[in-house]
Amino acid sequence: MKHGSLIGAVLLAFAATGCATKKGFEVPGQAFGCPVGDAKVSSMDDLIKAKVVMEGKRTTILPTELRCTKSGDLLRIDANLNNDSSSVKRIAYKFRWIDREGMRAADEESWKPLLIYENSNLVVNTVSPSNKASDFRLILRSQE
Amino acid sequence: MKKLILVALVLAAGCAKDTTRYGDARGIETVTNQFGSTDLQLIAESMTRSMLQAPVIVAGNLPIVTVQEVRNKTSEYIDTRAITDSIRAELQKGGKVRFAVDQAAMNQQVEEIKRQSSEFYAKEQAVEKGQMVGAQYRMEGNITSIVKQVKDVKDVYYKVNLQLWNIRNGLLEWSDEKEIRKTTTKG
Repeated sequence: MKHGSLIGAVLLAFAATGCATKKGFEVPGQAFGCPVGDAKVSSMDDLIKAKVVMEGKRTTILPTELRCTKSGDLLRIDANLNNDSSSVKRIAYKFRWIDREGMRAADEESWKPLLIYENSNLVVNTVSPSNKASDFRLILRSQE
Repeated sequence: MKKLILVALVLAAGCAKDTTRYGDARGIETVTNQFGSTDLQLIAESMTRSMLQAPVIVAGNLPIVTVQEVRNKTSEYIDTRAITDSIRAELQKGGKVRFAVDQAAMNQQVEEIKRQSSEFYAKEQAVEKGQMVGAQYRMEGNITSIVKQVKDVKDVYYKVNLQLWNIRNGLLEWSDEKEIRKTTTKG
């Protein structure tokens, strides 16, 4: 009987481990709080690939982390941009907002200039312009 | 020979054709380091997104706001009305705030009410006096700058501060700042 309960406990522990959700993926359709829908996103790198777009002159600056949360019914985003080079980089960025149907949820934002010092990180954050925006893209371009 | 070159240059200058092209209204403008379209857009967007997170707006009661002056404390001419107009348009699109007629538009509002009260309009459709809704909050602010210049370098720093005041109790419900630095180097 003792053996039976021990095996049962071990099996239960295994089952619980199997069911445990990976950190950042607790909510279905979201990764690190960011909406991903049906897209295959299983890591932070996947999330960055899905959400970051280069337009115009390409930059070596890339987000290393993207995190989203809800602020009321608006989507709040933090993107950590990393400059791992030994020179100051000048880039421009903007967010593009998408609604549930995949249409633009707001007018195109203006480009925002940004200076990132060498070997440093900078967090850019924003909040969606209205509750119509359910998804986003972070657009980057070089200003060098 | 010199005269010939001079004549050729004058002719060439006379023939030079101006070209006009449409540009990106939302692109980064760096023609001079004076207050420009990019600064206006950066300030309007940053302030709007910040204000959307103010507790009085997040509460979802569609607060009524009136827009007051953004005082220009810089040494250059800045149309501060363009800043508040952009913020108002962005907030209005967000659908979280309603705006009451402000001081600048009050004369036109009163004139229209008076016009409708005249004998030219059908009484049943004309707006009645005393039906306007007062604002619960007022938005005001300042824009300041620090300009430093040496021989070949000019540095301009702008700071915009906006505030949302509760008209009934005088409490400051929200405030935020946006800073912009631009440096021009000659040569």
